[in-house]
Amino acid sequence: MISAANEGDEAAWGAIVDRFAGLVWATARAHRLAPAEAADVAQTTWLRLVENLDRINDPERLGAWLATTARRECLRLIRLHSREAPTGDDSLFEAPLDDRAEQRVIASERNAAVRRAFARINERCQALLRLLAAPESFSYDEIASATGMAIGAIGPTRARCLDQLRRTPELAAFGIG
Amino acid sequence: MSEDIDPDEMLMVELRGLFTDVDPVPPLVIETAKASLGWRRLDADLAELLSDSALEEEAFAGARGGDAPARAVTFSATGLTIDIEVLVDDPERTLLGQLSPPSPATIEIQTLADAPRSSEADRLGRFRVRLPGGGPIRLRVLGANGQSGPPVETSWITV
Repeated sequence: MISAANEGDEAAWGAIVDRFAGLVWATARAHRLAPAEAADVAQTTWLRLVENLDRINDPERLGAWLATTARRECLRLIRLHSREAPTGDDSLFEAPLDDRAEQRVIASERNAAVRRAFARINERCQALLRLLAAPESFSYDEIASATGMAIGAIGPTRARCLDQLRRTPELAAFGIG
Repeated sequence: MSEDIDPDEMLMVELRGLFTDVDPVPPLVIETAKASLGWRRLDADLAELLSDSALEEEAFAGARGGDAPARAVTFSATGLTIDIEVLVDDPERTLLGQLSPPSPATIEIQTLADAPRSSEADRLGRFRVRLPGGGPIRLRVLGANGQSGPPVETSWITV
């Protein structure tokens, strides 16, 4: 697929984008970038892949390569903005919701509680859970690349983060989960 | 079965539902990604990003004190190094460049949105380009080292 894309095959390229767009996006959002900045990171990441198509030696690690590239671009942006006001705690949810999505979200109190609870846990946990809970099920290799965490730390950190989430007042009130 | 559900898994399922609802990949981001195949390098050698002060911890620490130093970026291809400084005066960007070994050349700045901008490097390999705004750019260098080899294109960077 990679070599076909390198020959200019748009269908092969489209398949790569469809498969990994969620990973690149989640990596940027896990770094708490606002949607417009996350879009810039995604764009730069995909352009980098285009210029490196002839150098990807291990297709199995394409996801990890993309996640690493996106993470580096995120760190650059974060450093650039370090002297500006920090983003709000809720920044992972800055994306405008369309009415239907909003209604689905507030339809369930429990859902709203999870959302508020998530905004309360620490940034590292938010980043890790954002990636682990992405609909596409990324590999630990990809998640390690996206977060800069060691692969071996992901499992234990996940357990601690879920614990932290469960103990927030928002979720403790439900007594479950 | 139902008593055996792992509470961690339950919570993960809830989170997954949440992100699917509130933070899907915007369609425009996917569209732009697909369009980026049009920027394949066809006839040129790649000048890889060798260093970028915006990615270095020390430069970052230094920048916190007062005025940020200009961002310094180095690209390297076989037989040619391209150094640029990026000066930001929002929304404008000015690139000050240096080719090594020094030689005259034509520098094209490619952006995603506009037609490329051209500049000439002087005998000492120095060039200067002003851009109306920020965004991803790459440089295409033609005729460095007395026209001997193919053009050189740098990695994309966002300025």
